This record gives sequence, structure tokens and C-alpha cells, in this order.
Amino acid sequence: MQRIFIFLALCCSVGLSAQDLHLSFLSINDSLTRHANAVVREEIVEIEIAAIDKLYIHTKRIVTVLNEHGNRYAFVGDSYDKSSKINNQKAVVYDAMGNEIKVVKKRDFEDRSLVASGTLYNDNRLSYFDYTPRAYPFTIVYESIIEKENTIFLNDWEPVGEHNLSVERSSYSIKNRAGINLRTRENNFEGANISKEGTELEPVYILKDFPAVDYEKLSPSLEKITPRVQVALDRFSLVGVEGSAATWEELGKWQYENLLKDRNELPETTVEKVKKLTAGAKSDVEKAKLIYEYVQENSRYISVQLGIGGWSPAPASEVDQLKYGDCKGLTNYTKALLDSQNIPSYYAVVIAGEEQEDLEPSFASMQGNHVILNLPQAGEDEDVWLECTSQTLPFNYLGDFTDNRNVLLVKPEGGEIVRTKSYSTSENLRESSSRIALNEDGSFSAAIERRSYGVPYGNIYGISTALAKDQELYYKKLLKHLRSLNISKVAFNNDREKQVFTETLNLSGEGYGSKTGKIMLLPLNFFRASTYDLPRLEERRQALEISRGLSFKDHVELRLPEAFELEALPDNFKLQNEFGSFSFTVVETEKEGEQVLVAERFYSINEGTWPAEKYDDFRDFINTINSFSNLKAVIIAAKIHN
Amino acid sequence: MKFLIFSFCILLCSLQSHAQDFKFGHVSKEEVMEKVHPKDEEAGAAVLYRKVSTYYEYNGNSGFTLVTDVHERIKIYNKDGFEWANQEIVYYQNSGDKEKISGLKAYTYNLIEGKLEEEKLRKENIFEEEINKYRLKTKFAMPAVTEGSVIEYEYSIRSPFLTSIDDITLQYTIPINKLEVSVKVPEFLGYKKHFNPKAAVLFQIKEGREPFRYSRTYNERSGQKVVTYSSKTANVEYMQNLYEINADDIPSLKTEPHVDYLQNYAAVLKWELQYTKFPRSSIENFSQTWEGVAKSIYDDTFSKELNRDGFFKDEIDKLLAGGQDNYSKALLIYSFVKERLKWNGYVGFIPENGTKSAYKDGAGNIGDINLLLTAILKYAGLKADPVLLSTQDNGIPIYPTREGFNYVVSLVELPGGSFLLDASDMYANFGELPKRARNWQGRVLREDGTSGWVSLMPASQSEEQLNLNITVMADGTLKGKNISLFSGLFAKEYRDSYLDLNSDDYVQILEKNKGNIKIENLEKENEKELGEKLKEVYEFELSDAAELIGDKILLKPLLFTAMDENPFKADDRIYPIFFDYPSKQVKVVNILLPEGFAVETLPEPSITTFNNGACNYRITMVQNGNFLRIESVFDLKTIIYNPQDYTNLKKFFSYIVEKETEPIVLTKV
Repeated sequence: MQRIFIFLALCCSVGLSAQDLHLSFLSINDSLTRHANAVVREEIVEIEIAAIDKLYIHTKRIVTVLNEHGNRYAFVGDSYDKSSKINNQKAVVYDAMGNEIKVVKKRDFEDRSLVASGTLYNDNRLSYFDYTPRAYPFTIVYESIIEKENTIFLNDWEPVGEHNLSVERSSYSIKNRAGINLRTRENNFEGANISKEGTELEPVYILKDFPAVDYEKLSPSLEKITPRVQVALDRFSLVGVEGSAATWEELGKWQYENLLKDRNELPETTVEKVKKLTAGAKSDVEKAKLIYEYVQENSRYISVQLGIGGWSPAPASEVDQLKYGDCKGLTNYTKALLDSQNIPSYYAVVIAGEEQEDLEPSFASMQGNHVILNLPQAGEDEDVWLECTSQTLPFNYLGDFTDNRNVLLVKPEGGEIVRTKSYSTSENLRESSSRIALNEDGSFSAAIERRSYGVPYGNIYGISTALAKDQELYYKKLLKHLRSLNISKVAFNNDREKQVFTETLNLSGEGYGSKTGKIMLLPLNFFRASTYDLPRLEERRQALEISRGLSFKDHVELRLPEAFELEALPDNFKLQNEFGSFSFTVVETEKEGEQVLVAERFYSINEGTWPAEKYDDFRDFINTINSFSNLKAVIIAAKIHN
Repeated sequence: MKFLIFSFCILLCSLQSHAQDFKFGHVSKEEVMEKVHPKDEEAGAAVLYRKVSTYYEYNGNSGFTLVTDVHERIKIYNKDGFEWANQEIVYYQNSGDKEKISGLKAYTYNLIEGKLEEEKLRKENIFEEEINKYRLKTKFAMPAVTEGSVIEYEYSIRSPFLTSIDDITLQYTIPINKLEVSVKVPEFLGYKKHFNPKAAVLFQIKEGREPFRYSRTYNERSGQKVVTYSSKTANVEYMQNLYEINADDIPSLKTEPHVDYLQNYAAVLKWELQYTKFPRSSIENFSQTWEGVAKSIYDDTFSKELNRDGFFKDEIDKLLAGGQDNYSKALLIYSFVKERLKWNGYVGFIPENGTKSAYKDGAGNIGDINLLLTAILKYAGLKADPVLLSTQDNGIPIYPTREGFNYVVSLVELPGGSFLLDASDMYANFGELPKRARNWQGRVLREDGTSGWVSLMPASQSEEQLNLNITVMADGTLKGKNISLFSGLFAKEYRDSYLDLNSDDYVQILEKNKGNIKIENLEKENEKELGEKLKEVYEFELSDAAELIGDKILLKPLLFTAMDENPFKADDRIYPIFFDYPSKQVKVVNILLPEGFAVETLPEPSITTFNNGACNYRITMVQNGNFLRIESVFDLKTIIYNPQDYTNLKKFFSYIVEKETEPIVLTKV
């Protein structure tokens, strides 16, 4: 009897401890639920450096998910590959009040490959548990231990990894059992409740009560505004290759020696071919251009990331034979071809993407997700840059994938941080000229020419190789404000030399002028203004950041139907401020005996960063551009008697 | 005589075109030199030759294997066709049984200085990926591919899954110049073949029979008390059925927007297993009719799940303690299951966890949730049956097969009519299905073993009413109040999209695409009361809608509610056009004119109708002193239209856009 009693008592106590009061959502401070979809209740990351080629990442993360938008923060799982493994993984789910509802064991985790589309092969896999929430809030506790042999990458501390996620407590520590010198760089600590303990070799960081950041359009990335610590070891290992480096110079040198050197050999026949190809060229740049075009004609982009191949390019001879490669392989191949003709070039590691992300000059660590090629031009203002993964981009065109950011040049004598080309507001130009002949019923025919330069060039030239049907649909969508469009001619001229893309269109349609009674209203712009769509905000919190300027120049000639007379024209208008400029003029003239309205619109939006208070002014500026782009002329049927 | 000469000519021509050599490795210079596809100049690549042979092999040790040999020769014309030089073969494994790829050989052919050169795909450039427990993938990128290259490869898939022959694709999104398919099936497997009836390309299939021989070794046991075993070999001969397709010039499958599901229209050959009769075994029947499919699913899976009630009994008894009528009972149970079980995102009519443990865990797949719903309805004494269906992205089944279905809902019959229920969708009202399940028809499985089709398409019109009361200021600013009412699937869409947003975020969405607007005092009624009309009221100020030119004010009276863009843009159409559900959209705008202004022009009222009332539109404008009233009614009764209707449907919408965007002109008096 007594036994039974003890047993029962045990049960009860187990039952009690299964409710963990501090996991209840009720204990979350109000300041942390504002704008938050989920709250990191506690995160403990401990990085244990056991040896130069062995590290363990111990993670415990407790996240309370407040609503269904927060589900992705409750992701439970880790990725692994041949050089890393998951030693332990477990999770427990609790309900809103902190009662345990599910214990997830190792065998409940699913395993699948993690090969991105566009990648032929890599060995990344994912071990994860897919939880279906029954109700919100709920809390999920995840613990894992990952063992890695690559110590060249240490996980940075990025406690606020997402928008709409607040952090109650996050700690990060390094156990440096190998005693290797560690470098750290602290970013965006101002205003955050952060404490730092431990030693230089074994630091401990703790962040408390960081409220969620709501996403706002045209605001700086989270990396620029939330606390994070970059970490790197002075001595490290990568897939069995050891190295040491404390500066970009040393890291670049190590990369050159271990990942790049002796990978530029080419078959003699190819060298001969290239020699012949470039024989007539007058300068190195001209030769380089022929070589770049040769690579474009003779390769395609395919990504295979295996072992050291994830960091080191495939040998040039292999790319020469396969005629495909990833960014590293194709860049190294182009470099090898240039080397064979004694044209200097450098392999350049970059963080690519539309968002401009920099390598930090004062902190060397293994970073980057892409590689491009730099051709130094002594005595010139700008170097030549080559994007070797594209079969269609012009020579020396980077576009918005790699523009205006710090990259690492991997030189034999050591690494060097340099900045890629920046496209200015006036370079990023789109200009159009539209000649429109209007009929009495409001229908029209038009001849349009539009030219794109700079970043807009890179975003449009692809249309020229699309299917005819898709081209037509593209223009019908672009000109969706016009009815019953019939496009009779579409022609393109891609001037890769000057990097200008010209579109020529002939089209006709109905209802350009909207007629009511004897009056017809005529839009004075053919293309709608292309600006930002900005929400009205009660309170803007983040700075306003525009990373690339843009300018637009539009010329419209509108031939009026004979029976009509001009009744009213809008006034000319001009505006210039810190955000950019806008001007609109319209005149009535006569051309070849016909009445013609000639309208000119120019507007530009500058690049720059402004404090949050300026958001409303900027929005007003954009609204002004939009509404002045909608201006109409009124014409009246003078010679028709209804 | 004339006829003879004529047919002789045809023969000659066809011989001519077959002069190309499709033996593996016999790629010609001409093929590499070809610059553009002779029949489809936009094609970035084309399949010059595709051969698929499926047959059964017998081996004394391992028994039967289902083998599929594939041989393809592909021409790459330009960079757009490069993706065809990267190939993926997907195959399957299941608890120890695994399909294997063998004999993969591949070459790229290029013309280098006038000479045809070949480049072999090396082993180290072939990769095998285990996608998950069930699927494997072999991937390779052909070496040395440039514009003009011809690639060629062959491989075999060896499968232990004898009773399932994979679908054979007969059409790609690039042209296929020559296609040869052969399928040989021993007579002890009874397959029925099906083409996709929605495909635009038709194929001739040649059928025949030939002998199938194999030797088999077997153990024989003899004796009664003293048992001896001996091994014997026997030659076995059976007949096998032969199916062949030989076709030329199969056009590419074109994509189009607003198609329900493109693969519904691709030419494909599917194989349905009807029975097996292996030597020394008795005949085993598989699904042959929809009736049979339904019954086998019912017997295998559903009957068990639908007749368990022990685990929910107590709670349901409590829930229904009030002695409600049948309709209220059904409503209560529907809400109860929705609250109790959350959908884990997986479709499938087979319960993943079993209704009992899903009930306990509070989550499950579609099978778990809707079978449990059906079981509880039945337990409560209601007439409820499961309905099998295929979701929109699973296509429409073209022959009776279990695989044709991937979803189940519940049909409950009440005095007021029958209702389709899907408890996996939070915001589906009683009798409403989510979009994924609204795909033509489903098969209802009744308790007595019979089954029949029920329509899944929404029958009643959903309604949206937008009312704007606006005051026009002399400076062109508009102040107004919006009252919107949403019913049926309009309300469901609203709830699906916006219900869990906070009001700041929602106002931002509301303000989007309405110009320079400020929305305030947003109020909602019946936001969560499914089945009630959802009402949304807000006030707004719009500063750039009216234009001032000279002494005139120009205004598009329907403001942001106007249909200002034709949804149909392409010139022609291959596939049918689908609208989601029958709908009626009513917009009423009341405008108070500014002091000192008079209406100069007012657009004409208009009524128009399409396809004998399948779709109707009318707009009226009435002036009454200082007030203008504009009313527009769009009434869509039929939701599926043939491609032949496309041009007129496009015109009909173009007309609506014209009427809805016509401005009114006010002049100072």
C-alpha cells in the first residue's frame, strides 16, 4: 500500500514539474510583445573550440511563438554535411501556460537533402522536426550539439536574427580549450542592454530585453541596426587544411596559397586558341574583352559544392573540358585565360545580393557568397570588373548584384579590401520618347523608344531573348493603364559596348483620351511614373535608406485630332530637394501643319540615408511625382456639332 | 491509279524524314549544325529523339524486375535551352525496396573546326541525392555544352515495384521530333492504358502480343514423414502484351496564366493496374471502376476509422447534451473538430496518425481531420459520408485509380440540403470548401458500399457590396466613408488574408493602391462570425483623385473601386478560363458636389451581357440636385469558359474597364 502511495506521489511531482511556470507567456514583459510574432525567451549558445580542427556548438533555445506569423522562428533543426555532424538533438513543446505537450526525440526528427535549386550537387542535409501548432501562444525548447571540423568559420553572435522577433535573454560564450587567439568585433551595441564578461580569449556576451523590430520599407538591414559580434580565430582549419591569419592581408594570402594557387593551368590547345583570338587586339582591355566573351560563349553556370570544392575553384583545365562551373570555377577559368596572355587579374570575394553588404575592412574573417574578377587599371579612375557566371552581361558590367561594396582581392602577395563600382543617380537612367497620334474617338497609335542605362540596363536586357508572347505580355502589363493594346512591332537593340538597351515599340489602342461629351482628357505622360510604393505611417522608426539613385527622362509628342481644339493645359512645374528633383513642362506647337503637345518630364531620386523623421517628407515627394505624372490636357471638339 | 501514286509519294516523304540515324552515338554533323528548329523557331532546345521501353525481366535469383530504358537526344539551340543540358531522374524507395539507375551513358556532341567531337559525361560528374525516405534523384550536367550542342544519354531504371508502371511523358515544354514508346507487359499483369483526354495532341497506339519466356528454378518438397527437398528448373512461357507509340513532331506544351493546372493539359500515357494473376497464384483484382476504387478505399481504410467512437464519445455526449436539432448538432460538431484539430499542412485521404491519436495530439493531416469529423457526425446520428477528391494541384484523375484522389472531405445530409465540410480550414463556413478542394467533382462513399459523384464547385453566388459616400471639396480633395459587405467566399477570402493582422498593418494594406489616401476610424463587424456578412466601415480622405484643370474638376467616380485593368491581356488562349466562384459585385457611390460647381458631362448608363447571361454588367448614373449616384453591378454566374469564348470575354472585360474609368467633368458656374 505504501508503495502505491509513493508511486502516486512521484506521479504528482512529475506532473507538477511538467508545468514550467517561467515558460508561460504570461511572464513576458509587455515591451517585448509589441510588434513581435515570437519571443526568444532564452538562447544559450556556447562555442567550444576543442582543437584547431574540432569545435562543438551547444545550443539551447527557448522560443515562445505568439501567432502564426511567428511559426518560422520556432523552426527546430540543424543542417549538416560531410564536415559536420549532429551529436544531439531534442525538443519539447509547451502550451501557453507552460504545460508540456510534446517531447520530441531524436527519432522524431526528419532528414532530407538541402540542395538549393540551381545547384547540381552539395552534401548539405537538414535534420528537422515539423511541429503543427494547435494553439497560440506556445513555447518550444530546442537543444542541439553540432560537431564541426572547419574552424575557419565561427558562428557570429546575431541574437536578433529576424524582424518581429524580440529577445528576452540571449547569451553567447566561447570556450577556448585550444587556446587559439580569438578576435572579436562588436557592432551596434549602443542602446542595447548588453553585458560582456569573461576574457579576451573566452568572452561571454549577454543581451537582455531587446524589443522586436518591425519591418519598414526602405529601412537599413537588421545587420546594420541590431547588436552582433563577429568572431574569428587566428589559427584555423578548413577541410583538413590548416592556416593562420589575423588580417585581410594574411587571410588573402592564405586563400591564395591554399585555395587558388596552381589551379590556373590550361591545355596548350586552349592557350593557342586564345592567343590567336586576341592576336589582333590593341590593348589589354581589348584582349580581356575578347577573352570574357570567349568564356561567355563557352561555358554555363552550374554549382557543385563538395569538400574543399565548396571554397576552392575547380581547376581551370577541368572547367575548360566540362565547359561549366560555379562562380569560383568560372572566375578562376577566366583568370587563367587572362594569365595565359599576361593580363593581370584578381579573384575577388564578395557578398553578393541586391542589398549592398560590405566586408568589414578592420575585421578579417572568412566571408562572402560569390566571386567576381577584378582587372586593375593603373592610372584609370575605375578598375574593370567581370561577372563570370553570366553568359549575357556586357564586359565590365556588375549591375545591382555586386555593385558599390567592399570586396576582398585575393592576391599572391596578400589580400586587399577594395570597393566595386558604384552606379550614380545620373548613370541609372531610363529615357523614353513617345510619339502619339490621337484619333477623334480617343483611340491612338504610338511609336515609342526607351533606353536604359546603368542598373536599369541589367534589369531589362533579358526581355530581348524572351518568347514573343511573353514580350507582348510584359509590355501590356507595363502599359496596363492603356486599353485594348495592340502591339504591332517590338524591336530591341542591345549595345553591349556602351551598355545601352533600346526598346522600340509600335502600338495602338483605344481610349487614350477619355471622352465625355465634347470634351476629351489627354494624359500627358505615356509611361506611369516608376517610384516607390510607400505606406502612410503613424510613426516611422527606422532611418530611410535608398541604396541606388535613379533618374527618368520622358519626352512625349501628342498629335491632336484635327477636329479638336486645346481647351486647357496644366501649368509647368519644378521641384528640387534633398531627395531628388522633378520637372514637368508642356507646350502646344505646330508640326507639319498639325497641332502637337510636347511634354517633358524629368525626375530623379537620390541615393542616401535620412533620419526617420524625414520619411513623411520623402513620401510627399514621391506622391508629388506621382500626381504630377497624372496631369492631363483638356481638348474640345470645336468643329463637330453634336 | 491516281490514288496509288499519291500514297507512294507519302511513303517516300516519310522515308526521307526517317533517314536520320537514332542509334545511340550516331549523332550527325547536320544535327549539330542546325541553327533553329524547323517548325518552332522560338524553341531554345528540342528533343530530336526520345525512346522509352518498359518491360519485365526475370532472373532466377531475384525474380521479376520492371525495367524502363530511356534514350534521349536533345538539341540545344541557344542559351535559353541550356537548362535541358542539366538532367534529373527521380525514382523511388520504400522500406528497403529501391529503384536503381543503371547503364547511364551520356555524351555531348560539338562541331569543332568542322569536325564532330564528342565529350563523355564522367562518373565523378554524376550525383545521387537522397531527397527523403521515399525519393531519390540522380542529377548530371552535360559537359562542354555550347549553343548548337547535341546531347545524348541513355539509362535504365530497374524497379522492384512490379505493379506500378510510371507515367510516360509524351510532351515536353520543348518540341519532340521523334518519339518511340514501347511497353511490354506479361499477361499475368493486367494494365489498362489511359491518355490524358485534355491534351491537345493525340497519339496512335499499336497493340500486339508476343511470347515471354523465362527459366525458373524452384524447390520441391516431397515425402510425408521423411521430407526431401530437390531443386528443379523449368522453362516457362507466357504471352505478353505489347503497346507501341511512334510519333513525330509533337509540339511543345505552352504555358499560360489563369490556367487551373498546366500539367492537366500535357500529353501523358498512364498505366492503371487492374489485376494480377501470377503463376501459381489466384487472380487478384485491383481497382477497375470508380465504384471499385471507392469500395476498396472504404474497406481498407475508412470503415475502420469511421466506426471508432470510444475515444471521443464522452466529450461529444457532453457537447450534444442540449438535445439540439440535427442542423445545430452538425454545426457544433464542425466547430468542435476545427477547434480541436489543427491541420499539419499535409494532404492525403489516408489518416497519417489515425483519427484516435490525431484527436489526442490535436493535429493531423486531411485524412485524420475529415474522417474524424465524419465519424463524429455519424456517431451523433447524422447522415454523413466521406467524399474523396483530387486537389487542384493534383490534377483531375483521368481513370479510376486510388492515386487519382489525394484528399477527403465530409458530406452531411440534413433536412435543409447537403453540405460539404472540410474541418481543416479555419475560415471555411459550414458548407464551404477551401480553394484547393474545389476541383470539379468528388466521390462520395456511402456506408452501404455504394458510391457516386458530387459536384465540388460552389453553386451559390458570393456577394461583395461596396458603398462609398463622398464629398468633393472645391480644392479637389475628397472626403468619404466606405461601407463594405462581404458574404460567402468573399468573406472567407477576407478572413483568410486579413483576420490575423493587427489593425495598423491592415490599414497599410487597405491604403495600398488607392493613391494618396488616409484611412481612419476603421471598424469591422462579424469579423469572426463565419456565415454572417462581414462588414467593414472606414472614413477616408483622398487628395489626388480629382484633377483640377482650369475651372473644371475631373473625377473617375468609382475611385479605387473601379476595375481599371483588364485581367486578360494575351491575344489568344489555348486552355479554358477559370474563375474561382460565382460572384456578384455591387458598387454604389454617392457623391455630394462642391458648392458652385455643376455637372458638365456624365457618362451614359449601360447594360451588357455575355454568353446569354453567363456574365452580366450594368452601370447607371443618376443626378439629383447636388447629388450623384453611380451604381455598377458585375454578375458572374458561370465560372468556366471555353478557349473559344476568350476573345469575346476579353472584349467584355475591356468594356467594363472603359465604363468604370470614364470620368465625370464638373465646371464652375
